[in-house]
Amino acid sequence: MIASKLKEAILSLRPGRVTLKYPFAPHDPEGDFRGYPEIDTDKCIGCGGCAAVCPARLIMIQDIDQNTRRIVRLLERCIFCGRCADVCPEDAITMTKRFELSTDSGREDMESECQVFMATCQRCGRCYEPPSALDKIMKPGLRNDEVKRGGQDSPYKHISSE
Amino acid sequence: MNVQQLGETIKDRFGPDVIDFETLGPDQLYVTITPESLVAVAEHLYQNEGCRYVINSGTDRRQQRDAFLITHFFTQDEEKIYIAVHTEVGADDPQVDSITPVVPAANWSERETRDMVGVVPVGHPDPRRLVLSDDWPEDLYPLRYDVAHDVHPPPAEGVAPERLEPPEGASVVPIGPFFPVLEEPAYFRVFVEGEQVVGADYRGFYNHRGIEKLGCSVLTYNQVPFIAERICGICGYVHSCSYCQTVERAAGIEVPDRAEYIRTIVLELERVQSHTLWLGIAGHIIGFDTVLMQTWRMREPLMWLCERITGNRKAYGMNLLGGVRRDIKPEVYGDIRGVIDKIGDEWAELAAAIPGDSTLMARLQGTGILTTETARKLGAAGPTARGSGLAIDVRLDHPYAAYDRLEVTKCVHDSCDNLARVLVRLEETLDAIKIIHQALDDMPDGPIMAEIDEELPAGRQAMSAVEAPRGEVFHWVLTGTENRPERWRVRAPTYANLQCVPPMLEDNALADVPICIGSYDPCFSCTERMEVVDVNSGQVRVYTEEEFRNEYDQPGDK
Repeated sequence: MIASKLKEAILSLRPGRVTLKYPFAPHDPEGDFRGYPEIDTDKCIGCGGCAAVCPARLIMIQDIDQNTRRIVRLLERCIFCGRCADVCPEDAITMTKRFELSTDSGREDMESECQVFMATCQRCGRCYEPPSALDKIMKPGLRNDEVKRGGQDSPYKHISSE
Repeated sequence: MNVQQLGETIKDRFGPDVIDFETLGPDQLYVTITPESLVAVAEHLYQNEGCRYVINSGTDRRQQRDAFLITHFFTQDEEKIYIAVHTEVGADDPQVDSITPVVPAANWSERETRDMVGVVPVGHPDPRRLVLSDDWPEDLYPLRYDVAHDVHPPPAEGVAPERLEPPEGASVVPIGPFFPVLEEPAYFRVFVEGEQVVGADYRGFYNHRGIEKLGCSVLTYNQVPFIAERICGICGYVHSCSYCQTVERAAGIEVPDRAEYIRTIVLELERVQSHTLWLGIAGHIIGFDTVLMQTWRMREPLMWLCERITGNRKAYGMNLLGGVRRDIKPEVYGDIRGVIDKIGDEWAELAAAIPGDSTLMARLQGTGILTTETARKLGAAGPTARGSGLAIDVRLDHPYAAYDRLEVTKCVHDSCDNLARVLVRLEETLDAIKIIHQALDDMPDGPIMAEIDEELPAGRQAMSAVEAPRGEVFHWVLTGTENRPERWRVRAPTYANLQCVPPMLEDNALADVPICIGSYDPCFSCTERMEVVDVNSGQVRVYTEEEFRNEYDQPGDK
């Protein structure tokens, strides 16, 4: 009995103090940690690949007219899996190391919205992604992405300050 | 006996009642029988072939066949065979004979099928509502294809769970509905005479999330692994592995060797972190918080390691159909070995200290007895079964991933008490560390993901299981069109183990109830079932809602 208690005491005393100061001091995540995704809306071509693979189904795509596609993301549902970044053909999505999402200003901080000008199909009248990079360059006036973003504490603030 | 012979034996015995049987590889048998012979076939498998019952599943196939498909899953562990017994019942009269009178472990899953698909098990000894909330409409069956995944029936007034009256002279001690020790939703009403427990009443399903429905209605094949991973908050990777293996098997996808080794390593890392977490909780339950603090301190570097190699400390997001998304780079092998060896050393010291600690032994030894016979009857799995002398372990009985190439030990104890279950987990953790070392030694080079170019074929089926830290996780998939499964059935190990709790509580002191419940490492949110058993008489009484309202409504309830 005493021997066992002594063993346990040694086991407990040996490591010393291990409690971290987090959240009062930052604690960086390890190596290849996947935090929340950051979207470079200038690179987005509106292909919708991210929306097709997102397990949390948080990316919504609406074609609001014949040449405007609206992409809404609800980050509050994001599970940081990084599937969108895997499939994005333009590398517009990068997984950051940031993970703190708490906010005191409500849901809008967790939303991001962008509109991408698309080509219009001459047959069906729906939006489609222009066929090649050259086509995009040839239509310079067509890209005028509007990004709506959240309030003061939005994780997307770094985008909004640009 | 191989799988073909087993199929022929059943065909010979039941003749024209066996419509068809087919095999998948050397380990899976699918038998289609007439509804009339279901009870006889189930009894034959359970009694004569020594099969263990796994789960029941109901599939709405009215679109394809104008019928409901009812499937009972069994396993013959010695012969390493999984058996699915299919039977079709007409859509106009959705009824099927209950097998619970001959196979007691089918109790919950038959009721679940009734709740979710609407096929009534005729002759079920306890046909009360199990899964759905008390105010869910009677004729709305969520897993039918014509019910939307996001249907929200209006809440009803004046409904209450059906509760069991305590035996004459006994008092009720409520634990829950939020079980304070495990911080999970579970509601036990423990009946006591003085300090002695004489019965228990359990209500669960407060956290039913409809994951199977989502997988079969809105998600696609490669979205499911992520939600499967979220079935459990501690050992989720087992579900995503099991799901992927099942679909890969059904579609004939060959997973690269290296991916299988990576899955094995991550599964074993998960076992180590789950068992260290569990031992801490067990210590906490019996009031020995030093154990909690120290095991969780040991565990933390492992969580950081997982964060480093998978991208997250839990919910790794590693699996897709065909392999894994991230390689484990050779430069981190050394770090993995360092972290697990440190845990192993401290764990061994702890394991050596426990048998001499009379405080711990007084709480563990001889309490929470689950006899070998009851464990088999109720289909116990994992450390709960192995602590009761049942030598079953999916890693050896039905090898998956890279386990057929590694040396795994079955850790079995036969004292059937809480201590046995603690010792099984202590030994298993050390064994898991050895397995990780072996896997790192033998890790082959090569790709980590199989190329899948073609659409997955519809109408194929496969079963697969994984030995989770809590026991056998079982998945069955019937592939469908539109890039998603037609039916995906999941059985978490706590589903089986929770049915063992009332017999385990019998004759214990009230103070030992939390550790008895804790000793099988329950995961209520994975399972969420309900059971009422009178431990004294073993009788299960059925009450109508009216009777319950009249007899048990407390003043002020309405």
